[in-house]
Amino acid sequence: MPTTAREQITSPLDMASDQTLADRAADGDLRAFEVLVRRYGALMRVYATRVLGSNDETDDVVQESFITAWQQLRTLEDGSAVKSWLMRIVSRKSIDRLRARRPHINIDDMDAPAPESHAPHVLAEVESQTEALSRVLAALPEDQRRCWTLRELAEYSYGDIAAEVDLPVSTVRGLLARARKTLLREMEEWR
Amino acid sequence: MTRSEHPPTGERFVAFDLNDTDREQAGLHGHTIEELSDYLDRGRTPADPSIDDSPECEIALRSLERLRRVQLNLLDSDLSRESARDDSWVSSILDNISREAHRGREIPLAHPSPTARLVVTEGAVRGILRETGDRMANIIVGRCVLVGDVEVPGMPVTVQVDVTIFQGENIPMMADRLRQLMFAALQQYTELVVAAIDITVRDLYVEPDAAAAPKGE
Repeated sequence: MPTTAREQITSPLDMASDQTLADRAADGDLRAFEVLVRRYGALMRVYATRVLGSNDETDDVVQESFITAWQQLRTLEDGSAVKSWLMRIVSRKSIDRLRARRPHINIDDMDAPAPESHAPHVLAEVESQTEALSRVLAALPEDQRRCWTLRELAEYSYGDIAAEVDLPVSTVRGLLARARKTLLREMEEWR
Repeated sequence: MTRSEHPPTGERFVAFDLNDTDREQAGLHGHTIEELSDYLDRGRTPADPSIDDSPECEIALRSLERLRRVQLNLLDSDLSRESARDDSWVSSILDNISREAHRGREIPLAHPSPTARLVVTEGAVRGILRETGDRMANIIVGRCVLVGDVEVPGMPVTVQVDVTIFQGENIPMMADRLRQLMFAALQQYTELVVAAIDITVRDLYVEPDAAAAPKGE
């Protein structure tokens, strides 16, 4: 069970299973929906921020995702799968944003140069490892970052990622391999 | 990109090339980072001696594991930062969703005037059923379904309700009590002819900290 957030007044719904909450929300229960928003909203925000590479549009993307979820909850067959269903929605919305940002570029074909270490090594030493990872992730080419985020944050299988980003599995594997290699190589600089 | 400013050490791992698989494999005992990553995903089983016995692979595996640890730390710190935010983003989501989305069917109510049309929505009836359950302790009502032609007055309707009951409660008694209360509520607010209220206990709720030590704060 996910831990619930800080100083909320505990209501029985806070203890309810994902299935119960999703079922009630699908029936139109706003309070149950609010518990879902609190339970998974933070993860969705983290996810959207990573895919987008910044938090400028996170609020919008997560809000749109929940609005879509509310409207489409009735189509969710298995309420216990609501977490991965929400992650799929926020993933699509984030990818839509990426595409909208650069309408003239097909991001599937984009192959940006390997990110350089912008920070001088002195800075890298005082920077925490998580901050460093965060910076390197933000500098990855979008298609690599997308695949990495789906794999590592949303825990998608290779096949699910391929379906989501509409690329062959082999391409997804290649993108993930490149992302990992870049991260590993940059990580060597953090010691 | 050369890293010549760093003296080579045994720990150092630069055995791959972003663009050259041959060089990558040459440095990793015939393997690739992708293979090693999959190997880690499988929990290093079944054991592959050509990986396990290679010092180069071992260094690469340690680097991959380290990357994973940092990733987890990053996710944790991201999550705690997001969880510490104020609640305005939650309100703004709730303010922006349409309450009309789950109205459902329209259930007619009789009215003395022949020209007046009075209805209660299916969504409102489901709400009444939930509220009824929420007033009882130690039971959580889930999905409520009205089966039957609710739009035609006088047609018998079956109500299907999913519930979670807290462990330790007497399940038949709880279900009976809920059934009575729901029946009464439907009589009070609707003109539905209720043939049956079927209650399914989907889950037993077990208090998570019942046995565990009390948490700090």
